[in-house]
This record gives sequence, C-alpha cells and structure tokens, in this order.
Amino acid sequence: MLTRYGALLFAAGFAFLLFVLFTSQPLGAPTMLAGQAVLNEAAGTVGAANIVTAVVLAYRGIDTLGELSILFAAATAVGLVLGRSHGTDAAATAREPGGFILRAGADLLFPLLLVVGFYIIVHGHLTPGGGFQGGVVLAAAFVLPVLARPSETISHSAMAWVEGLAGGVFIVTGLLALAVDRAFLTPLLGTGQLGTLLSAGTLPLLYLAVGLKVGAELANLLLRMTEEESGT
Amino acid sequence: MNTSLIALVVALPLLAAFLLPLVPSVLRRLVGPLALLAVAALGMVLWQASLSEPLVLTLGGFRPPLGIVFYVDGVAALFVLTVALVTLLLWPWGGDASENLDRKQSLTLVLAAACTGLAVSGDLFNVYVFYELAAVASYGLAAGSRTAAAQVATFRYVILGSLGSLLALIGITLIYFRTGTLNLAHLADLAPQTLHDPLGLAAFFLILLGLGVKAELFLVNTWAPEVYATAEARVSALLAGLVSKLALLVVVRLLVLVFPLPEAREALLLLGMLGMISGEFAAYRARDIKRMLAWSSIGQLGAAFIAFSIPGPLGLAAGLAIALHHLLVKPALFLLAERWGGGLARLAGAARRSPLGAALFVLFALSLIGVPPLPGFWAKYLLLSGLAAQPDNLYLLAGLVVLVTTVVEAVYLFRVIGVMYGREGATPANEQLDNTQPASALAGSGVFAALLLAAALAAPLLAAPLGRMATQMSDGAAYVARVLPSTATLSGAAQ
Repeated sequence: MLTRYGALLFAAGFAFLLFVLFTSQPLGAPTMLAGQAVLNEAAGTVGAANIVTAVVLAYRGIDTLGELSILFAAATAVGLVLGRSHGTDAAATAREPGGFILRAGADLLFPLLLVVGFYIIVHGHLTPGGGFQGGVVLAAAFVLPVLARPSETISHSAMAWVEGLAGGVFIVTGLLALAVDRAFLTPLLGTGQLGTLLSAGTLPLLYLAVGLKVGAELANLLLRMTEEESGT
Repeated sequence: MNTSLIALVVALPLLAAFLLPLVPSVLRRLVGPLALLAVAALGMVLWQASLSEPLVLTLGGFRPPLGIVFYVDGVAALFVLTVALVTLLLWPWGGDASENLDRKQSLTLVLAAACTGLAVSGDLFNVYVFYELAAVASYGLAAGSRTAAAQVATFRYVILGSLGSLLALIGITLIYFRTGTLNLAHLADLAPQTLHDPLGLAAFFLILLGLGVKAELFLVNTWAPEVYATAEARVSALLAGLVSKLALLVVVRLLVLVFPLPEAREALLLLGMLGMISGEFAAYRARDIKRMLAWSSIGQLGAAFIAFSIPGPLGLAAGLAIALHHLLVKPALFLLAERWGGGLARLAGAARRSPLGAALFVLFALSLIGVPPLPGFWAKYLLLSGLAAQPDNLYLLAGLVVLVTTVVEAVYLFRVIGVMYGREGATPANEQLDNTQPASALAGSGVFAALLLAAALAAPLLAAPLGRMATQMSDGAAYVARVLPSTATLSGAAQ
C-alpha cells in the first residue's frame, strides 16, 4: 500500500521538478552556439543537403556508431535471454499460414516496402530520412511475409551476415580515413555537387550500412520474438 | 605519436564484436582477445605519450566545439589500458553453447568499447551514448546466466538504469539548452557565466544521479546486491570493478571541468558518506558472501566519492588510488566467491579444501581493510590525509566515517576468514558441497594478486605517476587550452 503511494508521490514530485526546471528556461530563444555554426558551414564542408544527416554522420559520426552498437547490444542481449540454440524449426513449420487477405497483402507490400525503404536510405543525405528510418521500413518488409506464412522463416544466419558486414563496413569506411592520414570517420571522396544523389562523399555509403544493419537487427529481433511466442 | 590511432581504442573492439559471428569457428575464439590485446598495447603507448602531454583527437576532422573530440590524458590512457587488461582477465572463454558464447563475447567486447569510450570522450552527449552502450551491454551480460533469479534482478537493474539514463539525459539537455554546446572544454570555458547558478547545479545533480546508477552512488545503487549475487562471477566482477569506475571518472571530469563549485563537492561528499555507511553496515549484516562483496563495493565507491570531493590534485590522487585499488581487488574477490555462494556457514572448512583460494581471499581482504604495506593501506592513507588537510568540519566528519567503517569492514571480513579457517561445523551436508575453486577462477584472481603485490612492492615508484596524473587531471585550464586553441572564433561567428 505504502509503496504504491510512494511511487505515485515520487512521480508527482519528479514531474513537478521537471516542470520547474523547464519553465524557468526562456522559451523560444535557445542558445544556438554550436548549432548555428553547424548550420552556417555544414552545406559547404560536408556537402549534404540534409543538414541533419551532416550532423548525424559527419560531425557526430561516432555517436551514430555508438547508437548502432546500442541496437546491436540490445539485439544480442535479447538473443541471449530468449535464444534457444536452434530447434525452433519444428515449431515453426507446424504454424498455420495467415488468411488470404494477409498473404495477398504481404505479397503486394513486400516489393513496395523494399523500394520505399531503400529510397529513404539512399536519399538520406538529401531529404528527411536516412538509414535508421529506412532500415525500419526494410525490417517491416522482411517481417511481413513471415507473419503471412509462418512456415517460411528467414534464416538467422543470413541476417547475422548482413548485420555483421554492415557494421563492419561502417567502421572500415571510418578507418579508411586513417590510411590517407585523416581522423577516424572523416568523410572522404570530396563533397560533390550539393543536392545531387552522388554527393556528400562517403555519407551515403555510411547510411546504407546503417540502414542494412538496423533493418537486419530489427527484423531479427521481431522474428525471434514471434518464434518465442509461438514456440512456447 | 599519431593521434588518429586513438580512435582505434573504441573502433577495434566494436569491429571485433560486429564481425565475431562471421569469423570461421576455428578462429572465432581468438578475435576478442586479439582485439583487446591490441587495445591494451595502444593504451600502454598512449599512457607513455600522454603523461608528458595530453593528446587530442578531433573525430571526423571537424574543429572541436562542432565535432566530437577524444581527450587522452594520463588518467584516460591508464583506464584504456586497465579496461583492456581487466576485460581480458575476465574474458568468457567457454562453458556455454557456441551460439550463446558468441553473444557473450560480443557483449563483453561492446562493454569494453563503451568503457574505453567513456574514458577518452570529451563531449557530453558522446559520453551519454557510451554510457547507454555500457548499460545495455551490462543488462545483457547480467541476464546472461539465464537463471530466473538473475533475470528478476536484471529487470530491476533495467528499470533503475533507464531511470538513471533519463535523469542524465535531462541534465545534459538542460546544459545544452543553456549553453548551446556539448564539448566539455567549451562548457568549461562558458560555465562561469552560464552554468554556475542553481539551474546549472540542478543539471549537475541530475547527471550525478543518472551516472550514479552505474557508479553505485547512494540512493540509486539498490540494484547492485541482487545483480552481483545472481550474475556470473565474471560479470559481477566487470560491473563492480570496471563499469562503476568509468561512470565515476565521467562524474569527476564534469566536477573538475564544468562544476568546480563547493555545492557540487558537498553533494559528492554527503552521498559518498551515506554510501559508505550504508554499504559497509549492510555488508556487515549480509549472510551471503556475494551480497557481502556487493555491499562492500558500494561502501568502497562511497569512499571514492568522498575522495573526489576533496578539492585539488590531492583529492584526485586519493580518489584514483582508491578506485584503482578497488578495481584490482573486487573482481578477484568475486572470482573467488563464484563457488562460495549461499550462507556464510557453508564456507566452513573452505581453507582445507581450497587452501590457495582461501589464502588469496585473505590477501585481498587485508588489502581491502587497509593493512600496510598492501596498496589498500596507501589508498586509505591518501584519503585520510587529504580529508585531514581540509578546513571544513564536514571533511573531518568524513574522515571519522572512513575510520569507523574500516573497523566494520575488518569485522565482517575477519568473520568470513574465521569461518573459512575454523573447524568444520556439525553440518554433514558441507562435505557434499563442491566449494573448491575452479582452476580458471584461481588463475584469474592469482593474476590480480600478483598485480596487487607488485603494486605493494612498487608503492614508492607509483607515487610519482599518480601525482602527475592527478595534477594533469585537475588542470581544467590546460584541458580547455589544449582542446580549444581559439574559442573566440566560434562565439564571434554565432553572435
């Protein structure tokens, strides 16, 4: 009884603290010190029309590598907690396929989702979107067929290869800069013409790696959870 | 040396973790140890180089307040070296199905990369990313023993850890909102005008509580005893020994660079005292050796918080000594305690069945209490002399707390030793229990013991580099000057 009210009291107090902290800030006039400087020079030095991408992959590329690793660690941890060493195939084949509408819808949507997903990824340096968003669409594309036909699972090892190689490509692309005597994760290959598909140097390549890694990881995670659900 | 190699201390373990499942199974078990050896070698070289002058790497080649920097001074390089070596000593070599072993090795590599990242990062949000990475990897490892008790304990750990990350993120948001920058050197430069007020302090306290979850700070350390008691011994050793120190290091960097205020120091001092009292008395009450070690770890980190609250290089030297000593002793004790779970009574006669294990336990216990000439004595000596030199009465009170808790520490550790070397009780069940030590645990803690004894012998030699590192770390102005040769350009451009 006491603990329940204690939790409520804590939440209320915490909310009040946050309220006080943020109402005491001037509204609508953020101090844009680093932000303004990035806005001023990003298009020229990085060559990405989408400045968010310039920040995510160029100025703060190591953060993005860290975030990719967080996702990787989360997926690995889930695998460690849920994962049985194989033996799920028997349970999977016994499952009923989905209804006609689900199957036909999945067939129709699969190519569409692939195209949209890759479009969002390869245009990440030009328009809003990029590897993380596109990767999620790709993951949906690969989970949907499994929902429609549970007996046809995608092999985990293929996913693991995509995941591992994509992560490797990101880091190796970053390390290539060391070969030409630059710092880790320096964008290479020049900036190109601002706003064209082949611009911003190695950033599109990095985003492709991000997209494939995020897609493979999320799809793997979702598939593992559906297996766990039907397996028990 | 070429500063661009600094990035490898983070990139190499991550690359190894990503590619580990793809390596042919013959070579797969070598990937992790090789990557860690490379990082250790790099850490050694960096330590040599950075003791004379700190090194700065601008990642991506963007000038500091815009891009992210890695800053390697003596302390950071030493922690890179220690992270690699300790992870190697606590490496999961086997004992699992192949697939799960891959996962554990990947997670351990990710944890190592996050720890080296925390040691070298010079950017507040980058620190948060690495902290979160360490958190997620340690959740996975803590649940990795796959027992129900471990999963329940990990669940509480995840809840508290997420709350901590949230608090830290709110604090960082507040700081970014008020200053418009995340670079630690730039923040240090701007702090006197923008952050040295109640709101800035509120941001510091939020970050302190948030990072405190991992650093076993009082109030947010309740996850620790259960997790350490249920996780595998090497995971407990990694979390208590390594991850807690890196979280502590980040707090200290913030304290030295951005918030060198008496209020911030007092908060550290008070929370450290409370942690020390609660930790050591709870350890006294504990009836299970792993929980006892966990509570004692909370107490020791309390001592480190107290030490870091002392202003100037003196406090930093004491804090570093306590942190490094604990980093050597606690993992070894957790390794030894792996087979000694359950009630303390079960240890009766352990000295006869495993004489070497018991002897090592005595050695580490003596150092933990602070018996000269073991390094634990020098750490506590530095702490007490630092506290005694302060005019404030609160510091004297902290000195008293340290002395009293040392007595408590001695009582509960000698109680365990007494049981171990005492006559076997009338419980015949003891005979069936397998509480002899596995060879791997003995070898691991043997290496720690060798390091501890070497440190005891070389104590006079260690004083010089320790003092050098503390002076280097306490010099906030040098940090700013090194990272930002000309701050004026950015402030001018933005206004």
